[in-house]
Amino acid sequence: MKPFLKHYHFQTVILVSIILLWGFGLKENTTQEPQVHTVEIIKMKFVPQNLIVKKGDKVIWINKDFILHDVTDEKNDKWTSKPFGKNESWSKVITQDEAYFCSLHKVMKGTIKIES
Amino acid sequence: MKNYANHIKVFGFLSLLLLVIPLQAQESPKLTDPEIASVAVVANQIDIDFAKIALQKSKNKEVQDFANRMIEDHTAVIEQAVALVTKLKVTPIDNAVSQSLLKQAEDTKVNLEKAKKNDFDKYYVDNEVAYHKQVIGAVNDLLIPETKNQELKELLETVVPALETHLGHAQMLQNKLTSKK
Repeated sequence: MKPFLKHYHFQTVILVSIILLWGFGLKENTTQEPQVHTVEIIKMKFVPQNLIVKKGDKVIWINKDFILHDVTDEKNDKWTSKPFGKNESWSKVITQDEAYFCSLHKVMKGTIKIES
Repeated sequence: MKNYANHIKVFGFLSLLLLVIPLQAQESPKLTDPEIASVAVVANQIDIDFAKIALQKSKNKEVQDFANRMIEDHTAVIEQAVALVTKLKVTPIDNAVSQSLLKQAEDTKVNLEKAKKNDFDKYYVDNEVAYHKQVIGAVNDLLIPETKNQELKELLETVVPALETHLGHAQMLQNKLTSKK
């Protein structure tokens, strides 16, 4: 009986190890899913002002001011959220480095960089 | 144009003195919260009035955009102030500071109306820089320290970054207009 038990025990350890490794592998996969980052617009500032994300991550801007703001491509005006008010939000999937500003209040600026 | 710039500087300095002297002449802060609420509403309304003149007289899109921004943002501030005093069941009370601001504003409005077309943009934007500096100083140094009600104090503290952003925007325009000359 003893050799059989030993053999059985060995098989169990191998099986559990495989399951655990598989589990960790799955977990690793889930962390590669696109992440969601939040930028608060508060007291006329983008917080955080500079953000580092992975390609394909989504950024959500939430306006906490009672004044209208927008989020607009600063260099080429290629994209804009249009103005949005208090507690309203707007989001964008990030595929490249971005420099943006509030086109209503041109001194409010922010950046997003893709993590290398 | 140098004359206008000098007038603005002198006007800004005198305005600040007119605003500060009556308060400093008193031994201790005397503005009550209802009076502070009145000053807040009046100061915002004045800038809306300046902007309305700019929309009538300026042909420069950036100046018009700035004027529209002043109307929208300062209207939003007034709405917040009115909502707060309504909630607190406080009626804004007219006072020496509000009246002093209004008196100065009347003079500025006359000058804005009189400004020649070519000079208007610079005159308006220079005044916006001076006015926002004056109001930021008054809110930080006089109104916030004297406010008793915490919510009114918080509203004033929230308005300061907006005023500073307006000042930055106005200074940006000022530089552009100066470099064009």
